[in-house]
Amino acid sequence: MITFQNVDIKFGEFHAVKNLNLHIREGEFFTFLGPSGCGKTTTLRSLVGFIMPTSGQILLKDADITRLPIEKREIGMVFQSYALFPTMNVYENIAFGLRVKKFSKAEVDQKVKDIARKVDLKDEQLFKKVSELSGGQQQRVAIARALVLQPSILVLDEPLSNLDAKLRVQLRNELKQLQKKFGITTIYVTHDQEEALTLSDRIGVFNHGVLEQVGTPLEVYNQSQTEFVCNFIGDINRIDPGMIENSPLKDVVQPGNIAYIRNEKVSLLPLQGIDTVQLKGKIADREFYGLYSKYVLEIKGGGQLKTIEKESRLFHHEVGDDVDIYLPVCDILQYPMKEGGA
Amino acid sequence: MRKLSMALLLIMCVIVSACGGGNNASSTNGGPSESGAPAGTPAASDSSTTEPVKNEKLIVYTNANSDGRGEWLIEKAKGAGFDIEIVGAGGADLTNRLIAEKNNPIADVVYGLNNMLYENLKKEDVLAKFVPSWAGDVEQGLNDPEGYYHGLVKQAILLGYNPNEFTADTAPKDWTDLYKNNAYKGKYEAPTLLGQNTPRLVVAGILTRFQDPNGDLGISDEGWNEIQQLYDNGVGAVEGEDFYANLASGKTPLGALVSGTLQQKEEQYNVKAGIVSPEIGVPMVVEHAAIINGTKKQATAERFVEWLGSSEVQGDFAAEFNAMPANTKAVEQANESVKELYNSLKPQDFDWAFIADNMDLWAEKIELEIMP
Amino acid sequence: MKTRNLSTRLASINPVSILLYGLIVWFVIAFLIYPNLNIYGEIFFKDGQFTLEAAEKLLSSERAMRSLYNSFILAFSLIITVNVVGITLVLISEYFEIKGAKILRLGYFTTLIYSGVVLVSGYKFVYGEEGFMTKLLVYLFPSFDATWFHGYWAVLFVMTFACTSNHFLFLSNAIRKIDFQTVEAARNMGASTWYILRRVVLPVLKPTIYALTILTFLTGLAATSAPLILGGKEFQTITPMILTFSRSMTSRDLAALLALILGVATLVLLTIMIRFERKGNFMSVSKVKSELVKQKIRSKFGNIAAHILAYGLFVLYIVPVVLIIIFSFTDAASISTATLNLNSFTLNNYIQVFSSMSAFKPYLVSILYAAAASVIVVALALAASRILHRYKNKWALALEYAMLIPWILPSTLIAVGLIVTFNTPKLIIGNTVLVGTVWMLLIAYVIIHIPFTLRMVKASFFSLDSNLEDAARNLGAKPFYTFRKVLLPIILPSTLAVLALNFNGILADYDVTVFLYHPVYQPLGVVIKNSTDAQALADTKALTLVYSVILMIMSSVTLYFVYGRNSRS
Repeated sequence: MITFQNVDIKFGEFHAVKNLNLHIREGEFFTFLGPSGCGKTTTLRSLVGFIMPTSGQILLKDADITRLPIEKREIGMVFQSYALFPTMNVYENIAFGLRVKKFSKAEVDQKVKDIARKVDLKDEQLFKKVSELSGGQQQRVAIARALVLQPSILVLDEPLSNLDAKLRVQLRNELKQLQKKFGITTIYVTHDQEEALTLSDRIGVFNHGVLEQVGTPLEVYNQSQTEFVCNFIGDINRIDPGMIENSPLKDVVQPGNIAYIRNEKVSLLPLQGIDTVQLKGKIADREFYGLYSKYVLEIKGGGQLKTIEKESRLFHHEVGDDVDIYLPVCDILQYPMKEGGA
Repeated sequence: MRKLSMALLLIMCVIVSACGGGNNASSTNGGPSESGAPAGTPAASDSSTTEPVKNEKLIVYTNANSDGRGEWLIEKAKGAGFDIEIVGAGGADLTNRLIAEKNNPIADVVYGLNNMLYENLKKEDVLAKFVPSWAGDVEQGLNDPEGYYHGLVKQAILLGYNPNEFTADTAPKDWTDLYKNNAYKGKYEAPTLLGQNTPRLVVAGILTRFQDPNGDLGISDEGWNEIQQLYDNGVGAVEGEDFYANLASGKTPLGALVSGTLQQKEEQYNVKAGIVSPEIGVPMVVEHAAIINGTKKQATAERFVEWLGSSEVQGDFAAEFNAMPANTKAVEQANESVKELYNSLKPQDFDWAFIADNMDLWAEKIELEIMP
Repeated sequence: MKTRNLSTRLASINPVSILLYGLIVWFVIAFLIYPNLNIYGEIFFKDGQFTLEAAEKLLSSERAMRSLYNSFILAFSLIITVNVVGITLVLISEYFEIKGAKILRLGYFTTLIYSGVVLVSGYKFVYGEEGFMTKLLVYLFPSFDATWFHGYWAVLFVMTFACTSNHFLFLSNAIRKIDFQTVEAARNMGASTWYILRRVVLPVLKPTIYALTILTFLTGLAATSAPLILGGKEFQTITPMILTFSRSMTSRDLAALLALILGVATLVLLTIMIRFERKGNFMSVSKVKSELVKQKIRSKFGNIAAHILAYGLFVLYIVPVVLIIIFSFTDAASISTATLNLNSFTLNNYIQVFSSMSAFKPYLVSILYAAAASVIVVALALAASRILHRYKNKWALALEYAMLIPWILPSTLIAVGLIVTFNTPKLIIGNTVLVGTVWMLLIAYVIIHIPFTLRMVKASFFSLDSNLEDAARNLGAKPFYTFRKVLLPIILPSTLAVLALNFNGILADYDVTVFLYHPVYQPLGVVIKNSTDAQALADTKALTLVYSVILMIMSSVTLYFVYGRNSRS
């Protein structure tokens, strides 16, 4: 559907996007994930046409759109601030694109009302000022405005970023539902890993202008291909080099590599059917969350690990208890140590 | 919204047509003036002498059209077969304007300005030489000896006083008394508004008494000293105030008045100002008439000036507007009180060319160095 | 790489924009740079040689130096006083809950409909030697000096109240855009009324206040009528001198030099302000804005004090206007002594002004000129702001500074520059002579009003959310369509305000008009001046007031169309 080929984007001296190669499939929900300044928004804006790549090509359905004017790309966009036109009411906002394309009055009316119904905007809300809407309603207007032109792609630039947490979860769910309903290829930009994991079919993680990994949420989470990716997503233990030195881990971790393991993969119970490394340690700290507890483990021979275990009648530890610790070999992530150390 | 887009479109049209319009203007204005200025003038007058009388519309500049004088003249001219459009503005502004337009003159005739301004115009080649037949009837010494402009109406710049504060005996005898006699200190309006003509003439009336080719700007140190005293001891004029009001109220009971306005002001403020007639004379300004160099309607302009300065027109005008004609044959039609006033006044002897050459510089010097 | 970039960039600009940019560049070169540099050249390079004579003359003149000093003192004082009064007015009418705010606003609006000599004489009716206030004070304290109202404090007093128009127009607009939730949030955290004002509300208004500060400074430097009439011997300023000098051929160099000094001072301040502006530009970040709700002043004493202040200011503003209107029905003697007598009331003044049929033509001419010029100026400023907004390179900067050129020349010299330059055929305007055409005056009006307009329009342009433009383009709108349908409606209120101000300013202009008007189409300013000239015989005092009242009515109508309807919706 969308292909980035060797795309480079520079702003003067600043290299915002470096040699990007990416294919996004039809109908999928694809997320650009990364910290601010990583190049994800720049990439998105180059797709929409606000930015011209310095080199490389962007293909949409095999057609080169790299230099196509914005208005001819037919990509619907939802902005971070929604960018609803304050001087127009909801109806006029949604109808804007249709009027630009010179649809007849009847068609405009038809399409606006159709799309409004699909995004659950009530008829009486159509003639309100946009400033009178709640955050959720504003999002729906912004999406309706982008979808009413029946674009082949919908892109969303951090649409939930400055909303409160509860509203964010609610709108996230709405968003997912809408995407399913319309089945439209969607590209979503966010710095929030939770949003990325819950919403996406696939995720592309950006760092310093480089696309570090592309994969399903599961792949990106469990098999992070770079140190940055594993650190950016989820909670993870960096395994102390001293700990490796003084334990069976030294047989698993390649010399010169740096090793990580996700908190929840560190087990206090023996695991069947998979290779594990066994360590001994002591509970140094415990936080009880009801459903589960978080532990800090003091490893015999030096170093700490964090873990999380579901509470049950069979499983309960207090601070000071000696414990056996099991690390599944397949869950130990290893990356070559960067020069200059990490 | 649609209105706005229309407005924007309109603006574009205006901007575009601004250039377009300019082009048209060039073909009508620029065309003749290019070929016209040097060779065209005689040609034009030639053709008009062979053809029967043809009165093209004349553009007439004047600073003397207010209070119905302009309307009166337009009516009167129409009766005589002239079609004129009067453009009125202040004397100094009109002069600047005429100089600005000298490469592309719009006016055909200018009347009403004083000698000083006409001298400036003459220097800038704005005027065409033309001696009307009535030039000889004008009082001796008022016309331009070189024949560029000729007198219509006399205006005297007078030193007036409030009759309740001074009598003919206690009033000053000359401008110089104002600052030499302690009795008048702080009681007269100093001519501070040098953008206007009357204050300039008051200054000229004093400075020209001290002409000195070696002095600064042609004036001796003594002269500058006297002017300094004039400003030091007077009360500055205030923009927007009518001096006559201050004379009437006694705020500044002494100061300059223009003869032509006396009667009206007396009626408005119910005070009849006393008039000083200095031995040396009073600055006598004459409103003149002249033809603009490069006019395309030379013949009509000449006939109009002939008509305008004639004793009949000037006589009627004097009777209507309390004016004092420069044309001696028209004087008898002037009102009695006016004649009486002028009989008591003697014109101060002015070298207008000298004044015109220096007035701006004098004003500048006064503004910078003398005014408090 | 770079060339390809450029060519693709050029290709992506559509022909209409290229035409538009071309037009702007042409206008700037032909009418802003060329004639103005030309006049400076004529002035400072007499006979092909650079001369510093003017500077020497000025430096050795004590009066010039003192006037210049006074101008700066006044300008800096006004920055403080006008901001204080202006902000107070806006808070009274827009922010706090004051009873009768609508009527109060009308009173505060009055400075928008009259200015200059008329305004000052209105204040003189109250505080002058014969004024009502003075008479009251003399009655109360028999030893009171009736001539008290002159000098620095008098000038500052009148100008402080007279120069709040811009504050009232633009600051009101800005305060209405404040996100009310921020105020509520601050209150929720226990902040007092005063603290909220100082820490939450005013900081958001900063950009507007900076822009207004520059305008106030300019107004102070250019003060003419108030110092002339009220300054007395001890407080004369420089602009009257500039005006006098610029009218005389031989003294133009002095006028140009003085204007240059003032212009440079303005540009320095402008640069400083721009820097401030960059530091603290606040954009509302909230997605759900709520409209400002007027704040009740919580302390009882404060509330009463605010009401007294509000109505005190109202009286201060309204009385001069009322007196001008009343006195326009009287005669010269009543006016100059500021006495009202039933016998002296008359309609003759009005009858005289409207007696002849030709009396209406100048109104039409002036209205057409003012309308055309103010619309063109706004259009130019909008186009230029858009360029400045989109391109941030040295050409855009050059454009901005070129458009500020008229600030470094007095308007009369701009007129002279146009005359000197365009009285012979010039290639840049298609080899035509502009002097003596109807376009001349239009062009001059446009030029003179560009800097102010650009300043205000640019400010509102830069406060726009750039996402709006992106969103529109994403929805398929072309740049011009986006501009027309999305951006313009948002900045329209402040743009229209500028338009109205320009319109009113041009309506009665004399200083520039007199140089350039077409003889056959006499504008109002010239006609008024002619019939109220000191040399005129009629009751010029009364006529001046009559014309003033007529202009007030015209200005009010304009403002009503722009503002009255706007604020109702």
